[in-house]
Amino acid sequence: MLKLECASLKGLLECASFSIVKGEICEVLTETDFDRNLLLKVFTGLAALDSGKIYIFDKDILSITSAELNETRKRIGVVLNNGGLISNLKVWENLMLPLAYHMSFHKQDIEEKIRVILSKIGYDDDLNVLPGPLPDYKKRLIGFARAMLMDPDMIIYDSVFEGLSSDSRSRVLETVNAFHLEKKGRVSLFLDPGESPIRGIKADNTYRLKEGKFYEGN
Amino acid sequence: MILSVKAVSLKDVIVDAIEYLWEIFGLLYNSFKNLPYLRISPVLTVFLRQIYFAGIETFGKMVIIGLLAGIVIIAQITNLTGVGSAVLTGKILIWVMVRELGPLLAAVIIITRSVTAISAELGAMNVEGEIESIEMMGIDPYRYLIMPRVFAVSLSSVVLTFYFEFAAIFGGITVTSIFWSVPFEEYTKGIFSSLSFKEVTASFIKSLLFGMTIAAVSCSQGLKVSKSITQIPQATTRATIQSLFLVIIFDGIITFMFFVC
Repeated sequence: MLKLECASLKGLLECASFSIVKGEICEVLTETDFDRNLLLKVFTGLAALDSGKIYIFDKDILSITSAELNETRKRIGVVLNNGGLISNLKVWENLMLPLAYHMSFHKQDIEEKIRVILSKIGYDDDLNVLPGPLPDYKKRLIGFARAMLMDPDMIIYDSVFEGLSSDSRSRVLETVNAFHLEKKGRVSLFLDPGESPIRGIKADNTYRLKEGKFYEGN
Repeated sequence: MILSVKAVSLKDVIVDAIEYLWEIFGLLYNSFKNLPYLRISPVLTVFLRQIYFAGIETFGKMVIIGLLAGIVIIAQITNLTGVGSAVLTGKILIWVMVRELGPLLAAVIIITRSVTAISAELGAMNVEGEIESIEMMGIDPYRYLIMPRVFAVSLSSVVLTFYFEFAAIFGGITVTSIFWSVPFEEYTKGIFSSLSFKEVTASFIKSLLFGMTIAAVSCSQGLKVSKSITQIPQATTRATIQSLFLVIIFDGIITFMFFVC
Protein backbone atom coordinates (compact mmCIF):
# COMPACT_ATOMS: atom_id res chain seq x y z
CA MET A 1 0.00 0.00 0.00
CA LEU A 2 2.90 2.33 0.82
CA LYS A 3 6.38 1.37 -0.22
CA LEU A 4 9.74 3.14 -0.39
CA GLU A 5 12.49 1.55 -2.47
CA CYS A 6 16.03 2.76 -1.85
CA ALA A 7 14.66 6.26 -1.39
CA SER A 8 17.11 9.09 -0.95
CA LEU A 9 16.38 12.67 -0.05
CA LYS A 10 19.10 15.02 1.09
CA GLY A 11 19.01 15.47 4.85
CA LEU A 12 16.34 12.82 5.45
CA LEU A 13 16.71 9.52 3.60
CA GLU A 14 19.69 7.58 2.33
CA CYS A 15 18.64 4.64 0.22
CA ALA A 16 15.92 3.87 2.75
CA SER A 17 13.38 1.12 2.18
CA PHE A 18 10.11 0.70 3.97
CA SER A 19 6.71 -0.79 3.33
CA ILE A 20 3.26 -0.99 4.88
CA VAL A 21 0.73 -3.57 3.75
CA LYS A 22 -3.07 -3.39 3.65
CA GLY A 23 -4.82 -3.26 7.00
CA GLU A 24 -1.66 -2.50 8.95
CA ILE A 25 -1.21 -0.04 11.79
CA CYS A 26 2.29 1.38 11.71
CA GLU A 27 4.21 3.93 13.70
CA VAL A 28 7.29 5.79 12.46
CA LEU A 29 9.41 7.61 15.02
CA THR A 30 11.63 10.41 13.80
CA GLU A 31 14.45 12.18 15.56
CA THR A 32 13.18 15.70 14.94
CA ASP A 33 10.00 17.56 13.99
CA PHE A 34 11.73 18.65 10.79
CA ASP A 35 12.27 14.99 9.78
CA ARG A 36 8.65 14.20 10.59
CA ASN A 37 7.35 17.09 8.48
CA LEU A 38 9.56 16.20 5.56
CA LEU A 39 8.61 12.52 5.77
CA LEU A 40 4.95 13.46 5.68
CA LYS A 41 5.61 15.48 2.53
CA VAL A 42 7.35 12.48 0.97
CA PHE A 43 4.43 10.20 1.84
CA THR A 44 1.91 12.61 0.33
CA GLY A 45 3.91 13.38 -2.82
CA LEU A 46 4.65 16.96 -1.82
CA ALA A 47 8.42 16.41 -1.65
CA ALA A 48 10.14 14.64 -4.52
CA LEU A 49 12.89 12.13 -3.79
CA ASP A 50 16.41 12.71 -5.09
CA SER A 51 16.51 9.04 -6.10
CA GLY A 52 14.61 5.83 -5.49
CA LYS A 53 10.91 5.04 -5.76
CA ILE A 54 7.82 5.60 -3.70
CA TYR A 55 4.65 3.61 -4.35
CA ILE A 56 1.30 4.54 -2.90
CA PHE A 57 -1.58 2.18 -3.70
CA ASP A 58 0.86 0.48 -6.10
CA LYS A 59 1.43 3.66 -8.09
CA ASP A 60 4.84 5.25 -8.48
CA ILE A 61 3.77 8.70 -7.40
CA LEU A 62 6.84 10.39 -8.84
CA SER A 63 5.95 9.34 -12.36
CA ILE A 64 2.21 10.02 -12.41
CA THR A 65 0.46 13.19 -13.58
CA SER A 66 -0.69 15.80 -11.10
CA ALA A 67 -4.31 14.81 -11.76
CA GLU A 68 -3.49 11.19 -10.91
CA LEU A 69 -1.57 12.33 -7.86
CA ASN A 70 -4.62 14.29 -6.66
CA GLU A 71 -6.78 11.19 -7.22
CA THR A 72 -4.32 9.22 -5.09
CA ARG A 73 -4.33 11.90 -2.39
CA LYS A 74 -8.12 11.67 -2.23
CA ARG A 75 -7.67 8.17 -0.82
CA ILE A 76 -5.26 9.39 1.86
CA GLY A 77 -6.51 11.18 4.95
CA VAL A 78 -3.99 13.34 6.80
CA VAL A 79 -4.57 14.54 10.34
CA LEU A 80 -2.05 17.27 10.92
CA ASN A 81 -0.62 18.30 14.25
CA ASN A 82 -2.06 21.82 13.86
CA GLY A 83 -5.28 20.55 12.29
CA GLY A 84 -4.32 21.81 8.82
CA LEU A 85 -7.46 23.95 8.74
CA ILE A 86 -7.96 26.82 6.33
CA SER A 87 -8.01 29.98 8.42
CA ASN A 88 -10.45 31.96 6.29
CA LEU A 89 -13.04 29.17 6.24
CA LYS A 90 -15.37 28.53 9.15
CA VAL A 91 -15.11 25.17 10.94
CA TRP A 92 -18.20 23.98 9.06
CA GLU A 93 -16.74 24.96 5.69
CA ASN A 94 -13.42 23.33 6.60
CA LEU A 95 -15.21 20.08 7.30
CA MET A 96 -17.18 20.24 4.07
CA LEU A 97 -14.28 21.27 1.83
CA PRO A 98 -12.84 17.93 0.58
CA LEU A 99 -16.21 16.23 0.42
CA ALA A 100 -17.89 19.09 -1.47
CA TYR A 101 -14.86 19.44 -3.76
CA HIS A 102 -14.41 15.79 -4.69
CA MET A 103 -17.88 14.31 -4.45
CA SER A 104 -21.26 15.41 -5.65
CA PHE A 105 -23.32 15.04 -2.50
CA HIS A 106 -26.32 17.16 -1.64
CA LYS A 107 -25.67 19.73 1.04
CA GLN A 108 -28.11 17.96 3.38
CA ASP A 109 -26.30 14.64 2.93
CA ILE A 110 -22.97 16.25 3.70
CA GLU A 111 -24.43 17.94 6.78
CA GLU A 112 -25.82 14.63 7.97
CA LYS A 113 -22.48 12.89 7.44
CA ILE A 114 -20.70 15.68 9.36
CA ARG A 115 -23.16 15.40 12.27
CA VAL A 116 -22.58 11.64 12.52
CA ILE A 117 -18.78 11.97 12.46
CA LEU A 118 -18.75 14.84 14.96
CA SER A 119 -20.87 12.91 17.41
CA LYS A 120 -18.46 9.97 17.02
CA ILE A 121 -15.44 12.04 17.95
CA GLY A 122 -17.32 13.99 20.62
CA TYR A 123 -17.05 17.49 19.11
CA ASP A 124 -20.00 19.60 20.13
CA ASP A 125 -18.69 23.19 19.82
CA ASP A 126 -20.00 25.93 17.53
CA LEU A 127 -19.24 25.13 13.89
CA ASN A 128 -19.93 28.64 12.61
CA VAL A 129 -16.67 30.11 13.87
CA LEU A 130 -13.29 30.62 12.26
CA PRO A 131 -10.76 28.05 13.49
CA GLY A 132 -8.04 30.56 14.42
CA PRO A 133 -8.84 31.01 18.14
CA LEU A 134 -9.58 27.31 18.80
CA PRO A 135 -7.08 25.30 20.88
CA ASP A 136 -4.83 22.87 18.97
CA TYR A 137 -6.68 19.87 20.37
CA LYS A 138 -9.95 21.02 18.84
CA LYS A 139 -8.28 21.90 15.56
CA ARG A 140 -6.88 18.39 15.42
CA LEU A 141 -10.30 16.93 16.15
CA ILE A 142 -11.79 18.92 13.26
CA GLY A 143 -8.90 17.84 11.03
CA PHE A 144 -9.57 14.25 12.08
CA ALA A 145 -13.30 14.58 11.35
CA ARG A 146 -12.48 16.09 7.94
CA ALA A 147 -10.21 13.14 7.11
CA MET A 148 -12.78 10.62 8.38
CA LEU A 149 -15.49 12.12 6.15
CA MET A 150 -13.55 11.07 3.06
CA ASP A 151 -13.47 7.46 4.29
CA PRO A 152 -9.78 7.12 3.30
CA ASP A 153 -7.96 3.88 2.51
CA MET A 154 -4.91 5.20 4.34
CA ILE A 155 -4.82 7.70 7.16
CA ILE A 156 -1.69 9.44 8.38
CA TYR A 157 -1.62 10.91 11.88
CA ASP A 158 1.00 13.63 12.15
CA SER A 159 2.01 13.75 15.82
CA VAL A 160 -1.62 14.03 16.91
CA PHE A 161 -0.99 13.05 20.52
CA GLU A 162 1.49 15.82 21.23
CA GLY A 163 0.47 18.01 24.16
CA LEU A 164 -2.71 16.10 24.97
CA SER A 165 -3.83 15.35 28.53
CA SER A 166 -4.10 11.63 29.35
CA ASP A 167 -7.90 11.85 29.19
CA SER A 168 -7.95 13.46 25.75
CA ARG A 169 -5.27 11.06 24.56
CA SER A 170 -7.29 8.00 25.58
CA ARG A 171 -10.39 9.41 23.89
CA VAL A 172 -8.50 10.12 20.65
CA LEU A 173 -6.85 6.69 20.75
CA GLU A 174 -10.19 5.01 21.17
CA THR A 175 -11.60 6.86 18.14
CA VAL A 176 -8.48 6.22 16.07
CA ASN A 177 -8.54 2.48 16.79
CA ALA A 178 -12.27 2.25 16.08
CA PHE A 179 -11.86 4.18 12.83
CA HIS A 180 -9.09 1.82 11.70
CA LEU A 181 -11.40 -1.16 12.04
CA GLU A 182 -14.30 0.52 10.22
CA LYS A 183 -12.92 -0.22 6.77
CA LYS A 184 -11.30 -3.48 5.75
CA GLY A 185 -7.72 -3.04 4.62
CA ARG A 186 -7.37 0.52 5.91
CA VAL A 187 -3.82 1.57 6.78
CA SER A 188 -3.16 3.79 9.78
CA LEU A 189 0.25 5.41 9.86
CA PHE A 190 1.41 7.38 12.90
CA LEU A 191 4.28 9.79 12.52
CA ASP A 192 5.70 10.85 15.87
CA PRO A 193 8.90 12.50 16.98
CA GLY A 194 10.92 11.02 19.83
CA GLU A 195 12.45 7.83 21.08
CA SER A 196 9.61 5.77 22.44
CA PRO A 197 6.37 4.70 20.78
CA ILE A 198 3.09 6.26 21.88
CA ARG A 199 1.44 4.10 24.51
CA GLY A 200 -1.94 2.79 23.43
CA ILE A 201 -1.28 2.60 19.68
CA LYS A 202 -1.81 -1.01 18.66
CA ALA A 203 0.90 -0.84 16.02
CA ASP A 204 1.69 -3.93 13.94
CA ASN A 205 5.08 -2.42 13.19
CA THR A 206 7.14 0.40 14.63
CA TYR A 207 10.01 1.94 12.70
CA ARG A 208 12.64 4.43 13.70
CA LEU A 209 14.08 6.79 11.15
CA LYS A 210 17.75 7.21 12.05
CA GLU A 211 20.58 8.48 9.92
CA GLY A 212 18.51 8.20 6.79
CA LYS A 213 17.31 4.61 7.27
CA PHE A 214 14.29 2.90 8.79
CA TYR A 215 14.96 0.47 11.64
CA GLU A 216 12.20 -1.90 12.61
CA GLY A 217 11.28 -2.74 16.21
CA ASN A 218 10.65 -1.00 19.51
CA MET B 1 34.87 46.73 5.30
CA ILE B 2 34.57 45.37 1.82
CA LEU B 3 31.54 46.37 -0.13
CA SER B 4 30.60 44.00 -2.90
CA VAL B 5 28.47 45.41 -5.63
CA LYS B 6 26.63 42.99 -7.82
CA ALA B 7 26.63 44.23 -11.34
CA VAL B 8 23.30 43.78 -13.04
CA SER B 9 23.46 44.03 -16.77
CA LEU B 10 20.61 45.24 -18.98
CA LYS B 11 20.49 41.75 -20.47
CA ASP B 12 19.81 40.23 -17.01
CA VAL B 13 17.03 42.73 -16.39
CA ILE B 14 15.39 41.95 -19.74
CA VAL B 15 15.72 38.18 -19.25
CA ASP B 16 14.22 38.49 -15.74
CA ALA B 17 11.36 40.60 -17.07
CA ILE B 18 10.60 38.10 -19.84
CA GLU B 19 10.73 35.20 -17.37
CA TYR B 20 8.38 37.02 -15.04
CA LEU B 21 5.92 37.86 -17.82
CA TRP B 22 6.06 34.23 -18.94
CA GLU B 23 5.24 33.16 -15.37
CA ILE B 24 2.26 35.56 -15.25
CA PHE B 25 1.11 34.30 -18.66
CA GLY B 26 1.45 30.69 -17.42
CA LEU B 27 -0.67 31.48 -14.37
CA LEU B 28 -3.37 33.05 -16.56
CA TYR B 29 -3.25 30.14 -19.00
CA ASN B 30 -3.64 27.73 -16.09
CA SER B 31 -6.62 29.74 -14.84
CA PHE B 32 -8.35 29.55 -18.24
CA LYS B 33 -7.65 25.82 -18.36
CA ASN B 34 -9.26 25.40 -14.94
CA LEU B 35 -12.28 27.61 -15.71
CA PRO B 36 -14.71 24.63 -16.10
CA TYR B 37 -14.08 23.76 -12.44
CA LEU B 38 -15.86 26.94 -11.38
CA ARG B 39 -18.98 24.78 -11.16
CA ILE B 40 -17.55 22.95 -8.11
CA SER B 41 -19.27 24.40 -5.06
CA PRO B 42 -16.20 25.32 -2.90
CA VAL B 43 -14.48 26.90 -5.94
CA LEU B 44 -17.62 28.88 -6.76
CA THR B 45 -17.73 30.05 -3.13
CA VAL B 46 -14.17 31.40 -3.38
CA PHE B 47 -15.12 33.16 -6.64
CA LEU B 48 -18.25 34.76 -5.15
CA ARG B 49 -16.38 35.86 -2.02
CA GLN B 50 -13.73 37.51 -4.17
CA ILE B 51 -16.43 39.21 -6.25
CA TYR B 52 -17.93 40.50 -3.01
CA PHE B 53 -14.60 41.75 -1.71
CA ALA B 54 -13.04 43.10 -4.92
CA GLY B 55 -16.26 44.18 -6.60
CA ILE B 56 -19.22 44.87 -4.36
CA GLU B 57 -17.30 46.27 -1.37
CA THR B 58 -15.30 48.54 -3.67
CA PHE B 59 -18.33 49.73 -5.64
CA GLY B 60 -19.29 52.69 -3.39
CA LYS B 61 -15.76 54.04 -3.19
CA MET B 62 -15.29 53.59 -6.92
CA VAL B 63 -18.44 55.60 -7.73
CA ILE B 64 -17.52 58.41 -5.31
CA ILE B 65 -13.95 58.67 -6.63
CA GLY B 66 -15.29 58.53 -10.20
CA LEU B 67 -17.75 61.30 -9.47
CA LEU B 68 -15.07 63.50 -7.89
CA ALA B 69 -12.62 62.81 -10.71
CA GLY B 70 -15.33 63.68 -13.25
CA ILE B 71 -16.14 66.96 -11.51
CA VAL B 72 -12.47 67.98 -11.30
CA ILE B 73 -11.76 67.11 -14.93
CA ILE B 74 -14.88 68.73 -16.33
CA ALA B 75 -14.26 71.84 -14.25
CA GLN B 76 -10.74 72.12 -15.67
CA ILE B 77 -11.95 71.51 -19.23
CA THR B 78 -14.70 74.13 -18.81
CA ASN B 79 -12.11 76.61 -17.51
CA LEU B 80 -9.93 75.88 -20.53
CA THR B 81 -12.57 75.89 -23.27
CA GLY B 82 -15.05 78.34 -21.79
CA VAL B 83 -18.66 77.88 -20.73
CA GLY B 84 -20.04 78.02 -24.27
CA SER B 85 -18.15 74.94 -25.48
CA ALA B 86 -20.24 72.24 -23.88
CA VAL B 87 -20.07 69.94 -26.93
CA LEU B 88 -16.28 70.15 -27.01
CA THR B 89 -16.17 69.64 -23.22
CA GLY B 90 -18.27 66.48 -23.59
CA LYS B 91 -15.96 65.19 -26.32
CA ILE B 92 -12.80 65.83 -24.29
CA LEU B 93 -14.40 64.20 -21.27
CA ILE B 94 -15.07 61.03 -23.26
CA TRP B 95 -11.56 61.01 -24.65
CA VAL B 96 -9.98 61.47 -21.25
CA MET B 97 -12.31 59.28 -19.20
CA VAL B 98 -13.23 56.37 -21.46
CA ARG B 99 -10.00 56.10 -23.39
CA GLU B 100 -7.50 56.68 -20.62
CA LEU B 101 -8.26 57.74 -17.09
CA GLY B 102 -11.32 55.58 -16.45
CA PRO B 103 -9.66 52.17 -16.82
CA LEU B 104 -6.39 53.45 -15.35
CA LEU B 105 -7.85 55.07 -12.22
CA ALA B 106 -10.21 52.14 -11.66
CA ALA B 107 -7.19 49.81 -11.91
CA VAL B 108 -5.28 51.95 -9.39
CA ILE B 109 -8.19 51.71 -6.92
CA ILE B 110 -8.39 47.93 -7.43
CA ILE B 111 -4.62 47.69 -6.92
CA THR B 112 -4.75 49.59 -3.62
CA ARG B 113 -7.57 47.43 -2.37
CA SER B 114 -7.15 43.94 -3.79
CA VAL B 115 -3.44 43.44 -4.52
CA THR B 116 -2.33 43.71 -0.91
CA ALA B 117 -5.28 41.64 0.29
CA ILE B 118 -4.75 38.76 -2.16
CA SER B 119 -0.97 38.59 -1.92
CA ALA B 120 -1.01 38.84 1.90
CA GLU B 121 -3.75 36.22 2.21
CA LEU B 122 -2.02 33.71 -0.05
CA GLY B 123 1.34 34.49 1.57
CA ALA B 124 -0.06 33.87 5.04
CA MET B 125 -1.70 30.64 3.85
CA ASN B 126 1.66 29.51 2.53
CA VAL B 127 3.49 30.37 5.76
CA GLU B 128 0.88 28.55 7.86
CA GLY B 129 1.12 25.45 5.64
CA GLU B 130 -2.52 25.80 4.56
CA ILE B 131 -1.71 25.48 0.87
CA GLU B 132 0.13 22.23 1.55
CA SER B 133 -2.83 21.07 3.58
CA ILE B 134 -5.10 21.82 0.59
CA GLU B 135 -2.77 19.82 -1.66
CA MET B 136 -2.79 16.91 0.79
CA MET B 137 -6.57 16.77 0.39
CA GLY B 138 -6.06 16.22 -3.34
CA ILE B 139 -7.20 19.73 -4.20
CA ASP B 140 -5.25 21.59 -6.84
CA PRO B 141 -4.44 25.01 -5.30
CA TYR B 142 -4.40 26.62 -8.76
CA ARG B 143 -7.93 25.38 -9.29
CA TYR B 144 -9.23 26.21 -5.83
CA LEU B 145 -7.31 29.36 -4.87
CA ILE B 146 -5.94 31.03 -8.01
CA MET B 147 -8.47 30.56 -10.82
CA PRO B 148 -11.49 31.95 -8.91
CA ARG B 149 -9.46 34.97 -7.77
CA VAL B 150 -8.20 35.71 -11.28
CA PHE B 151 -11.69 35.65 -12.80
CA ALA B 152 -13.37 37.44 -9.91
CA VAL B 153 -10.89 40.33 -10.00
CA SER B 154 -11.07 40.50 -13.82
CA LEU B 155 -14.86 40.59 -13.83
CA SER B 156 -14.90 43.13 -10.99
CA SER B 157 -12.41 45.27 -12.88
CA VAL B 158 -14.63 45.39 -16.00
CA VAL B 159 -17.81 46.19 -14.05
CA LEU B 160 -16.14 48.70 -11.72
CA THR B 161 -14.50 50.51 -14.64
CA PHE B 162 -17.90 50.86 -16.30
CA TYR B 163 -19.44 52.34 -13.15
CA PHE B 164 -16.40 54.55 -12.58
CA GLU B 165 -16.67 56.00 -16.08
CA PHE B 166 -20.44 56.35 -15.82
CA ALA B 167 -20.16 58.19 -12.48
CA ALA B 168 -17.35 60.38 -13.76
CA ILE B 169 -19.11 61.39 -16.98
CA PHE B 170 -22.72 61.79 -15.92
CA GLY B 171 -21.97 62.83 -12.34
CA GLY B 172 -19.43 65.38 -13.52
CA ILE B 173 -21.78 66.76 -16.16
CA THR B 174 -24.71 66.97 -13.75
CA VAL B 175 -22.74 68.86 -11.13
CA THR B 176 -21.17 71.29 -13.59
CA SER B 177 -24.49 71.79 -15.38
CA ILE B 178 -25.86 73.00 -12.07
CA PHE B 179 -22.89 75.24 -11.16
CA TRP B 180 -22.14 76.66 -14.64
CA SER B 181 -25.77 76.66 -15.77
CA VAL B 182 -24.93 74.82 -18.98
CA PRO B 183 -27.83 72.74 -20.36
CA PHE B 184 -27.31 69.03 -19.74
CA GLU B 185 -28.28 68.23 -23.35
CA GLU B 186 -25.37 70.30 -24.68
CA TYR B 187 -22.91 68.08 -22.87
CA THR B 188 -24.66 64.85 -23.88
CA LYS B 189 -24.52 65.91 -27.55
CA GLY B 190 -20.74 66.06 -27.35
CA ILE B 191 -20.60 62.81 -25.47
CA PHE B 192 -22.73 60.80 -27.86
CA SER B 193 -21.03 62.27 -30.93
CA SER B 194 -17.60 61.12 -29.77
CA LEU B 195 -18.49 57.87 -27.99
CA SER B 196 -17.83 55.22 -30.60
CA PHE B 197 -17.49 51.42 -30.52
CA LYS B 198 -13.73 51.90 -30.64
CA GLU B 199 -13.68 53.86 -27.35
CA VAL B 200 -15.89 51.35 -25.59
CA THR B 201 -13.89 48.37 -26.89
CA ALA B 202 -10.59 49.91 -25.86
CA SER B 203 -11.96 50.65 -22.39
CA PHE B 204 -13.34 47.11 -22.07
CA ILE B 205 -10.09 45.45 -23.20
CA LYS B 206 -8.05 47.66 -20.90
CA SER B 207 -10.20 46.94 -17.85
CA LEU B 208 -10.21 43.19 -18.55
CA LEU B 209 -6.47 43.02 -19.13
CA PHE B 210 -5.75 45.21 -16.09
CA GLY B 211 -7.94 42.99 -13.90
CA MET B 212 -6.23 39.84 -15.12
CA THR B 213 -2.78 41.36 -14.66
CA ILE B 214 -3.54 42.62 -11.16
CA ALA B 215 -4.93 39.24 -10.07
CA ALA B 216 -2.12 37.21 -11.65
CA VAL B 217 0.64 39.38 -10.15
CA SER B 218 -0.99 39.31 -6.68
CA CYS B 219 -1.41 35.54 -6.74
CA SER B 220 2.08 34.97 -8.11
CA GLN B 221 3.69 37.10 -5.38
CA GLY B 222 1.51 35.56 -2.66
CA LEU B 223 2.53 32.06 -3.70
CA LYS B 224 6.21 33.03 -3.66
CA VAL B 225 6.13 33.60 0.11
CA SER B 226 7.69 30.50 1.58
CA LYS B 227 8.20 30.03 5.28
CA SER B 228 8.81 33.39 6.86
CA ILE B 229 6.17 35.88 7.92
CA THR B 230 8.56 38.76 7.12
CA GLN B 231 8.23 37.87 3.44
CA ILE B 232 4.55 38.82 3.44
CA PRO B 233 4.98 42.63 3.48
CA GLN B 234 7.77 42.27 0.91
CA ALA B 235 5.45 40.27 -1.33
CA THR B 236 2.61 42.78 -1.01
CA THR B 237 4.92 45.69 -1.83
CA ARG B 238 6.34 43.88 -4.85
CA ALA B 239 2.87 42.91 -6.02
CA THR B 240 1.62 46.51 -5.76
CA ILE B 241 4.55 48.03 -7.63
CA GLN B 242 4.61 45.34 -10.31
CA SER B 243 0.85 45.53 -10.88
CA LEU B 244 1.02 49.30 -11.26
CA PHE B 245 3.99 49.06 -13.58
CA LEU B 246 2.41 46.41 -15.80
CA VAL B 247 -0.94 48.22 -15.89
CA ILE B 248 0.74 51.40 -17.13
CA ILE B 249 2.74 49.48 -19.74
CA PHE B 250 -0.36 47.64 -21.01
CA ASP B 251 -2.29 50.90 -21.01
CA GLY B 252 0.32 52.44 -23.26
CA ILE B 253 0.34 49.42 -25.60
CA ILE B 254 -3.45 49.31 -25.97
CA THR B 255 -3.70 53.08 -26.47
CA PHE B 256 -1.03 52.84 -29.13
CA MET B 257 -2.78 49.94 -30.88
CA PHE B 258 -6.23 51.57 -30.85
CA PHE B 259 -5.60 55.26 -31.24
CA VAL B 260 -2.14 55.74 -32.75
CA CYS B 261 -1.70 52.92 -35.27
